[in-house]
Amino acid sequence: MHIPDSFIPLGQAVVYWVITIPFIFMSMKWAKNELDEMKIPILAALAAGVFAIQAMNIPIGMGTSGHMVGATLVAIVFASPWAGVLVLTLVLLVQGFAFGDGGITTMGANILNMGVVSGFVGYYTYVALRKSVGTSIAAFGGAWLGLFISAIVCALQMWFAGTFPLVPGLIAMGTYHLIIGFIGEGLITAVVITSIAKSRPDLLEDSFNAGSDRYNTEVRA
Amino acid sequence: MSGKSNMKFLYAGIAIALLVSALAPFLASSDPDGLESAAGGIIEESKMSELEEMEPAVNSPMADYSIEGMGKGGEVAAIAIGTFAVLVISFVFGKVFNKKA
Repeated sequence: MHIPDSFIPLGQAVVYWVITIPFIFMSMKWAKNELDEMKIPILAALAAGVFAIQAMNIPIGMGTSGHMVGATLVAIVFASPWAGVLVLTLVLLVQGFAFGDGGITTMGANILNMGVVSGFVGYYTYVALRKSVGTSIAAFGGAWLGLFISAIVCALQMWFAGTFPLVPGLIAMGTYHLIIGFIGEGLITAVVITSIAKSRPDLLEDSFNAGSDRYNTEVRA
Repeated sequence: MSGKSNMKFLYAGIAIALLVSALAPFLASSDPDGLESAAGGIIEESKMSELEEMEPAVNSPMADYSIEGMGKGGEVAAIAIGTFAVLVISFVFGKVFNKKA
């Protein structure tokens, strides 16, 4: 879903940068307040993993492929969508400048779609679902919906840009990313979060549920 | 969380990332991604070739995750270099922003 320079006119690309910069700024503020010596290795490992997995395009049929985005995964691990915005910003910077994956003028739009929209929708869907369906399914559902909604936003941007017609753009982007979201985003996120929950449950402890658990333990004690 | 097990998480993360880097050039699908595929399906051909001819704003040293003249080995190297670059940048970023240390 990396938008190349040619797909959005410069004037509109600047608008997406203006919208996105406050989010990048907030993600840095999150880093300043939340990151410590203990969490930096986790952040670095996830960022490297997200970069690598984005190079692994999975065939989804119809002559199309797709890859994981990873913002929801990072947001769940750090219990904050700002972490997802931060990691995707770093990854997209390297992809854009070193590998020509996603434009430079359109990087604002790409950070907005893949970092902000997919991370926020994915994370808060996860939070909403977690108590009723459990961690694994909530992670799957959040990641899937996050990717799908970001593809819809991308289709709308393509329409504003005059690059795609509205309805065919929504149908094509929606269809492809429903499938990419199921396999590339939902399944991988669920597997990784489930294995972290098993091997390092303390990592996910900061999340919403743990807050009330900790409170209960303290009250009982 | 303990620092030691977080370093273990880091090493596991690096190992997985490098494994994916090494496999991606051989396993990854070369089919266009969702956005390109949508573009190919709904944009008129003349406009599509116009869009494709436009130069990117910046010429990247390792465009399309490859190194000129190095084939598959170059692709593995390119993705591995990118993985390390992201790793180092995240670390430096973390150190700079972590004022509590």
